[in-house]
Amino acid sequence: MKKLLSSLAFSALLLLTTACRSRDQNEGTIEITLSGWQSNPIESQLLEKVIDQFEAKYPNIKVKHEVINSQYMDVIKTRLIGDVAPDVFYLDAFEAPLLMKFEVLEPLNSYIKPEFNISDFEPTLINAFKRNEKIYGIPKDFSTLALFYDQTAFAKADIKQPPKTWNELIQYSKKLTRSEPDGKPNRYGFGITPELPRQQFIIQAFGGKLVDRNNYAAFATPESLKGLQLVIEQYRRDRSSAQPSDVGASSGDDMLGQGRVAMLLSGAWSIPYFKETFPNLKFATAEVPTINGRKGTMAYTVAYVMNRKSTHKEAAWKLIEYLTSEAVMKTSGNQGFALPSRRSVLAELQSDRTSLYAPLIAGAKYATTWQAGETLPTILTNFDNQFVSALIGQQSLKDAMQKAQDTANREIYLSN
Amino acid sequence: MLNKTLWNKRSTRETLSGYLFMTPAIVVLGIFLIIPVIFTIVLAFYRVQLLGEISFRFAGFKNFVRMGSDERVWIALQNTVEYVAIVVPIQTILAIVLALILNTQIKGKSWFRVAFFLPTVTSSAVLTLIFMWIYNTNGLLNSFLSFLRLPTYNWLGDPDVALKGIMLMNIWATAPLFMVIYLAALQDIPESLYEAASIDGATPWEKFWCITLPFLKPVTFFVIVMGIIGTFQLFDQSYIFSGGSGGPNNATLTIVLLIYQYAFKNLDMGYALALTLMLALVIMTVTLIQRSLFKEESFD
Repeated sequence: MKKLLSSLAFSALLLLTTACRSRDQNEGTIEITLSGWQSNPIESQLLEKVIDQFEAKYPNIKVKHEVINSQYMDVIKTRLIGDVAPDVFYLDAFEAPLLMKFEVLEPLNSYIKPEFNISDFEPTLINAFKRNEKIYGIPKDFSTLALFYDQTAFAKADIKQPPKTWNELIQYSKKLTRSEPDGKPNRYGFGITPELPRQQFIIQAFGGKLVDRNNYAAFATPESLKGLQLVIEQYRRDRSSAQPSDVGASSGDDMLGQGRVAMLLSGAWSIPYFKETFPNLKFATAEVPTINGRKGTMAYTVAYVMNRKSTHKEAAWKLIEYLTSEAVMKTSGNQGFALPSRRSVLAELQSDRTSLYAPLIAGAKYATTWQAGETLPTILTNFDNQFVSALIGQQSLKDAMQKAQDTANREIYLSN
Repeated sequence: MLNKTLWNKRSTRETLSGYLFMTPAIVVLGIFLIIPVIFTIVLAFYRVQLLGEISFRFAGFKNFVRMGSDERVWIALQNTVEYVAIVVPIQTILAIVLALILNTQIKGKSWFRVAFFLPTVTSSAVLTLIFMWIYNTNGLLNSFLSFLRLPTYNWLGDPDVALKGIMLMNIWATAPLFMVIYLAALQDIPESLYEAASIDGATPWEKFWCITLPFLKPVTFFVIVMGIIGTFQLFDQSYIFSGGSGGPNNATLTIVLLIYQYAFKNLDMGYALALTLMLALVIMTVTLIQRSLFKEESFD
């Protein structure tokens, strides 16, 4: 009996010490990792500063900020498979359905407290990270597309107002295209990016749609082609638009900055970029011209998400909560690379900087969010490939889109 | 009898110690080469789900049947074969010519050797970026072409010429490596043979055709095999060129790029592994054909 008692006491002691030890560990600092990409060095510096403030507020949490710049999603997916993914990371709305479907993200519903005021976020942005009523990500910011135009070029061509409709845009493009003596244009009216993320709203302008209910590609309909045909015709028949590789530019922004095009559809990120890289460029923004009498534009959003296998979920949530809080969003919104996802912060910005950001903010009401089910990466690859071939005239738009749709759907079917 | 067991013992001991010495190499090769190869062969017959819940489902020959109807596989194969068929002969001939030139007594020989060899030691990613500047619509190549009043191209955006651009770059970058191998082989040809041929009244052309080329045959076999393997595995250049998409209009899509897309973009490991096996089979077949061709008129 004595023996039993002593052994019991001993094991109790043992338990106590281990319990103590584990509590010790909890009291020590824990480290969580935050991964994202960097679109601009200034943006990164700003985030570092916010993280410092966070660490000062929660002294027992250390944040390791890691920048993955190239092939971000490939790296994240591979790390998720290998169980070495960061605790908190950026996720583009376009890739969200796949990760939500495979349940590698932590649902955040139970963490969100009333004082976080989730209803303050733009509902369309939250919905992009929602599946079966579970919220998997808190939108960090967003941007829509607006028409950027070169005011000097407009003045020279004697155009007073930015185009309001797509027909006007096509007319103005012809006026703005300027050729050298040998007939080769050295400036085009309109710069295009022949990629699906920039074309989805054009597909929808005449009632077309990108995917059907089962997330199969469905863009080869006459309605969709009607919209896309506008882009193709302007490029092929009018020769008043150009893509970056035609004029030796690295991106659409680059085309406008170098004066190779006079108009361009782009997002909030371009405003600080132009100011910094092309200080002599006199540009203004306007809402995207209406197509078929309908307003339309794209919206791109990125959220902070939590890894389901994170070992420090409470700390990870504290970080997400802090980064998306109203106070922090106000400071980071000042840099102007994107628009804040909280409506209260956005409202302040609206009254502040009416001139350049207003068209982008106005677009948020009718924008199409760049997202369409987990099959979108496959659809994107096939669309881009065939759309370019139609653009350079290798095949008709109808054939190209039919081929893109068939190939995409076969791949989707076979991978299911 | 006693002698025999003793001998046996010694031989087993020797074998054992031999294997002991090889253990590090065997372990490294096993982990990084043999196990992955076995995994590839086995998993090519499965549907693999890695993200979230890991699952393996036996799929039989489904992955291989899928290849037949996958248009992109055929485009990639066609691009790759076209690439091999153009790049390998040109880079081999260029390597021989460069080696022959450098083997003669010209001034500044070692300077030329260094200059020719530089592209090979430069990282291919850096080379590709430099070439993308050269190929830019307003870049060096187009300025040069328009100066000569030749037609200019949109080298990066036009599907008809995009792959040719990569070919040009690769030939320029790889030929010097093979040139060095040829140079080494040229030094090995006995001078006496040329002297004897001169006495017999052979022209320089005859000497090249009857002495130099036959002596270079084993090296040429090596160069062509390595060239074919290297070109079949073209990845980094077309990846950087097209930003990973294989565009414009699949013009720069190669087999390895396609495997990468399926494995890491679509996370379709089983299918990607089946494609890998197919590529390995293609390379093996080509090498075997080549071996039999070279064997027929083996020099020694």
